[in-house]
Amino acid sequence: MISFINVNCTFGKKAGVKNVNFSVNSGEFIFLTGPSGAGKSTILRLIYMDLFPEKGKVIIRNYNSNNIHDREIPYLRRKVGMVFQDFRLLPDRNVYQNVALSLYVSHYKTSEIKKRVYRVLNQVGLGHRVHYRPSELSGGEQQRVAIARALVKEPVVILADEPTGNLDPRVSIDLMSLLNKINKKGTAIIVATHNYSLIQRIPGARLIQIDEGEIVNIT
Amino acid sequence: MTVFWFLIREGFKGLIRSKYAGAFSVIIISISLILVGFGYVGSRDTLFLVENIRAQFDVDIFLHKTASSEEIDNFAALLDSMTEVRNVHYISPEKAAVKFKKEFGEDIFDILDYNPLPSSFTINLKPIYRNLVSVEGIASILSNKPVVDEVKYRKQFLILLEKYQRIVLITVVSVFAFLALLSIILTSNSIKMTIFARREVISTMKLVGATNSFIRWPFIIEGTLQGFIGSCLASLFIYGIFYFLNNYLQTVIEYKAIVSYRYYIGIVISGSLLGLIGSRRAIRKFLK
Repeated sequence: MISFINVNCTFGKKAGVKNVNFSVNSGEFIFLTGPSGAGKSTILRLIYMDLFPEKGKVIIRNYNSNNIHDREIPYLRRKVGMVFQDFRLLPDRNVYQNVALSLYVSHYKTSEIKKRVYRVLNQVGLGHRVHYRPSELSGGEQQRVAIARALVKEPVVILADEPTGNLDPRVSIDLMSLLNKINKKGTAIIVATHNYSLIQRIPGARLIQIDEGEIVNIT
Repeated sequence: MTVFWFLIREGFKGLIRSKYAGAFSVIIISISLILVGFGYVGSRDTLFLVENIRAQFDVDIFLHKTASSEEIDNFAALLDSMTEVRNVHYISPEKAAVKFKKEFGEDIFDILDYNPLPSSFTINLKPIYRNLVSVEGIASILSNKPVVDEVKYRKQFLILLEKYQRIVLITVVSVFAFLALLSIILTSNSIKMTIFARREVISTMKLVGATNSFIRWPFIIEGTLQGFIGSCLASLFIYGIFYFLNNYLQTVIEYKAIVSYRYYIGIVISGSLLGLIGSRRAIRKFLK
């Protein structure tokens, strides 16, 4: 489903990644680990095509980084859910509106949007917080909204960049359980983290270790 | 249809969400249009005033005292047939005597025992011929007619008028162009600030898979609304000032600002277009 073939990508003064090769199958759970600045986020950005390789190619389903047109990128992103450490929720919209945005951009009907948003908010345990603004929620709840936003469009993969970075250990464990549950239903998940204790929470997950932009180990 | 209404709703809500930045933008658009609005009326009336002065320019043609009434009739017909002439006014020796008395306060018959004043014509030229070259040409043609004794016109007045009209025209056009340009720059920048304040919305929309046109429309609708509201405020302000000027300041200044409803519609359309174009230009930068 996702393939990195001899990918090199550097940007600015940061190293980026060098000669990266790996692939992800449907329904897999993968951890990208390594120290800060190792290139974990770069790999995720290459997947949602916020960055493009200087050498090699990234293939996500039918989309190839070497020949994708700018116009096609939004359609790729509708197939890829994203979760960030800083949540990236819109502060002037409530939980429902934040989650529904993903479906409005994909031109869904209002009735379908309503159905899906309520279903996914119940799935992440926020059915009772629909009309709350992000500022009225805890960090863990905000991250659940971000997961709901990623999940509602039924993506083939969810990319989570340090999703527990701003959360306390207990909430982090809950969140990993939620991601695990989502993965069990068939959605591939790639989590970039340097928190090794989280990795142990998902026994069947594959581990890709990165250091200074290079993959040093895949298990 | 869901998307259509979503974009419209987002455009309207954006106006509220942008809070101070949006209000600031509306004020800037309003001030810009007030400047342009006053600039337009000022320019129009200045040019109108100059044209009015020019319209008062007449050419006087004095005929020989010996001219017969048939010769006078023929000459009048000639003047009527000239394409350069707008209207012809005949002054008989009797009328000239009356005019003399009105202007100088004395009866010509008290000074002389006969009327020495000749028959004359005063012609007013069509606007495009009210210039030195045309007037000199016409005067030269008419002077050569046997019935004509003398052709008189205020040459110096015409030279001065031509000189100053050019200066006035350049000044007025420059000031108006400057104000229009200033309003475009101010409007565009203030809308850019509004959008900059909500760049995270744009980046989030991109991340969830929004196309550029989907992101663009709410901002364009919002910008157009800002322009519309700003221009309505500007129209109200200008209307108030003109109303005050025309009704309460007539004893102080002899000027009446007369504008039709079309002028206010023009301001509202200009403001809305400024908002539309400004927001379209500004959002383009953030979508790269």
